[in-house]
Amino acid sequence: MFPENIILVILTLIAVLFFLNSVYRLYKFLLLGKKEERFDNIPERIKSVILYVFGQLRVLKEVAGIGHFIIFWGFIVLSIGTAESFLNGFYYKISFEFLGPVYTLLLSLQDIFGVLVLAAIAVSLVRRFILKPERLKIDDPGAKMDALIVLGLITILIFAMFIDRGIMMNLHKDSSLAINATYIPVSNFAAGILAGVSSETLHKVFWWAHNLVILIFLIYIPHSKHLHLLGSIPNIFFRSFRPKVELSKLDLEDESRETFGITKIEEFTWKQLLDLYACTECGRCQVNCPAYLTKKPLSPWHLIHDLKEHLKKKAPLLLKKNSKEENQENEPKILTKKLVGEVITDDVIWSCTTCMGCQNACPVFIEHIHKIIDMRRTLVLDDSSMSQEVQRCFTNMENNSNPWGIGFSARADWAKDLEVKIMGEDSSVDYLLWVGCAGSFDDRNKKVATALVKILKAANISFAILGTEEKCCGETARRMGNEYLAQMLIQENVEILKGYNVKKIIALCPHCMNSFKKDYPQFGGNYEVIHHSVFIQELLKSGKIKLQIPLNSTMTYHDSCYLGRHNDIYNPPREILKSVEGIKLIEMDRWGEKSFCCGAGGGRMWMEEHLGTRINETRTEDALKTGAEKICTACPYCLTMFEDGLKAKQKELKVMDVAEVIEQSLESF
Amino acid sequence: MKIIVCIKQVPDTETRIKLIAGSNRIDTKDVKFIINPYDEFALEEGLRVKEKLGGDVTVITVGSSDVEQSVRECFARGVENGIRIWGDGFENIEPLGTAKVLAKVISNMPYDLIICGKHAIDDDSAQVGILLADFLKIPHVPVVIKAEIYEKEAKLQRQIEGGIEVVGVTLPALFTAQKGLNEPRYPSLKGKMAAKKKSIQFIDGNTLGVDIKPRMHIIDMNLPKARVAGTILKDVEPAEAAVKLVKFLREEANII
Repeated sequence: MFPENIILVILTLIAVLFFLNSVYRLYKFLLLGKKEERFDNIPERIKSVILYVFGQLRVLKEVAGIGHFIIFWGFIVLSIGTAESFLNGFYYKISFEFLGPVYTLLLSLQDIFGVLVLAAIAVSLVRRFILKPERLKIDDPGAKMDALIVLGLITILIFAMFIDRGIMMNLHKDSSLAINATYIPVSNFAAGILAGVSSETLHKVFWWAHNLVILIFLIYIPHSKHLHLLGSIPNIFFRSFRPKVELSKLDLEDESRETFGITKIEEFTWKQLLDLYACTECGRCQVNCPAYLTKKPLSPWHLIHDLKEHLKKKAPLLLKKNSKEENQENEPKILTKKLVGEVITDDVIWSCTTCMGCQNACPVFIEHIHKIIDMRRTLVLDDSSMSQEVQRCFTNMENNSNPWGIGFSARADWAKDLEVKIMGEDSSVDYLLWVGCAGSFDDRNKKVATALVKILKAANISFAILGTEEKCCGETARRMGNEYLAQMLIQENVEILKGYNVKKIIALCPHCMNSFKKDYPQFGGNYEVIHHSVFIQELLKSGKIKLQIPLNSTMTYHDSCYLGRHNDIYNPPREILKSVEGIKLIEMDRWGEKSFCCGAGGGRMWMEEHLGTRINETRTEDALKTGAEKICTACPYCLTMFEDGLKAKQKELKVMDVAEVIEQSLESF
Repeated sequence: MKIIVCIKQVPDTETRIKLIAGSNRIDTKDVKFIINPYDEFALEEGLRVKEKLGGDVTVITVGSSDVEQSVRECFARGVENGIRIWGDGFENIEPLGTAKVLAKVISNMPYDLIICGKHAIDDDSAQVGILLADFLKIPHVPVVIKAEIYEKEAKLQRQIEGGIEVVGVTLPALFTAQKGLNEPRYPSLKGKMAAKKKSIQFIDGNTLGVDIKPRMHIIDMNLPKARVAGTILKDVEPAEAAVKLVKFLREEANII
């Protein structure tokens, strides 16, 4: 009714303008980022949006996700009602009644979702402010307030809706609401309560309250954690379809570059910045982060949160600066604040094991690891700022092509008495066995390499090793941010493999395998790479090896991050263990894609663990809790970390690689 | 401040040394060469002094063209100038000859401070630093673990048996670096790239008029015996074990 409709139109226009202005600014911030191609594969992208936005598949991976599912769908259903309420407010004749039975259904759904959303919010408030699960912990009081405001606004919104509906039903017995009373029991219930007090004035109060909350919400969203309403959908659309956590290749020949890592927030790509908008602050990443859970300064959530806050502060000044060249002197502090070291501290950056626990849990496909590695790159390549042990590891790889720093000429010593073919002597073989540094130099892992060789020989597989020509695959160097060293090693290996025309590789280490699959193609190295656990599984299936000796034992299998989350190999190691008579597998609480890192990934193997508690000991406790007699793994790093963890816990338990178990069970000959 | 650092390229500590059969030379094939670790401490200290007081660092080495990689490594870490000296007959140069050659070249250069490693890990002679200081007639402070360098003087801590000696010298002076002096840096990528383009000054050692004729000759060179796994006396009575141990130490290990 006039003049309220005019006021509503004006207020709506103002709110929409505010909203659009904020969105436009956020869009401009994104444009500050560097280019990145994410427009391929459109059908798959649309499918992702259907599955992960509307289907909420990742949100629903845990029970608490049901609450979000309800609020999300409630938001959509109630928005239809909100749209009607606004349009009707602009011009009283507009109504969705023409939809007939669908309209009734909509009214009914709004009623049901209204209650469900209120229930979900009650649960959310209890969780967030009373139960305080680890997942929702953040130090920033602003973030807590933000959550409270958002939940509060939604609550007011729904109450206002129900009260207003009740009043309308009482005042206008011929209204569509009143007619459909049986289908909207909650509104009807409200009508009952409000029977004596309903008046046109009260209707107006709640009608305005409802609409104003919507408008406030519209203005507030882009500035709050509810920015994820805007950020997450495009972020899911633009998610990566590349191999998991494939790192970007740096052009090291580019002499115009001043820096090689990310030194400023605007050096991230637009997609990396979009990640920041998408963050829902749900904390799933942090409860899956081995660094966070062992009290280290890194939480993937806080990392994204801090980057977002920094972007929101810095970007407007950057845009202003770009538009006018003057004012070079006395720049605002934020423009000169160092991204690496000040916004994000070195300790945060070095704490990451690149285990992918965060990325795997993130409902909106945020890619944390790339950002961390990009920042490590600046620490290593630009600033040479790293601990002594990291430096030593690099020097060892440079001088002796292995992180241990043992003389490279000793690389094939483990195989001296095993009569293994060396590529240099005979390269007419089907497979290259890529031993890796651990299998070559670490005494415990040499035994694994030996066991695998025995299995391959028993199966009559035609294979050879590179011997002293093998160099570190470069995986660790790359994930530690030393792109220069990594590229050097990768290129040298690619050349050697080319020389022997290698096509198929059996890798003893998941890290080497991952590197061959994801790093090497960037340098012209394309191979069929197979991890030894998968290869053994094939040998068993095809009957090339037969297990004869039963091993009566209970075992628990630990998923290596680079085998599991990074490459989706969960079953083969378990299958081959189960194929041994007498072995009983007991799973740890955290297994499969929820597996907890051993602590050695991302180069952490080579760093001291000064902060917090030890990741490997935490994981060892997981294994001990199962009561299994043996711990089994399929990664040399994990093996080492468990050995150390057991020593620290003073337990006599045995850790074995799956290859060792199979070798023990092979028929004796 | 003009700083000079003398470096030597040596086989990596982890290299398995092989001898060329029938000669007293090591087989350099498959040998990974590195900057002598003590020279790395010297280099790092030189760079730190430069960063504190200004000036430049010049690296000098006596070595074949293979040594250029080590000079470039010095460039990557921030050294301004690199000089390499080599000539006919230099393959058999002795520490005395090296010191004479270095002294001849350095005496024609401006310098305030010379830093060397305390010794090279390949031949363990530990002579070049002290000889060089003597030829240049400047003070020499060996085995330094802490250095405070000022414009005209230096306060140096040296490791001595059972303690630390603090020495004061006026510059120019020479000191040799011991482990613990500092933690050498890792070069930045920008440094590495810049190092590729820098030129190394070459000095023909034969034009210096220095007598480098060897005064000793190597009669023989042998590799140490390969280490064998230890023997554990298991499941024997202590008395019997003691007898066996003594027998072993006397007859097989020839220790007692």
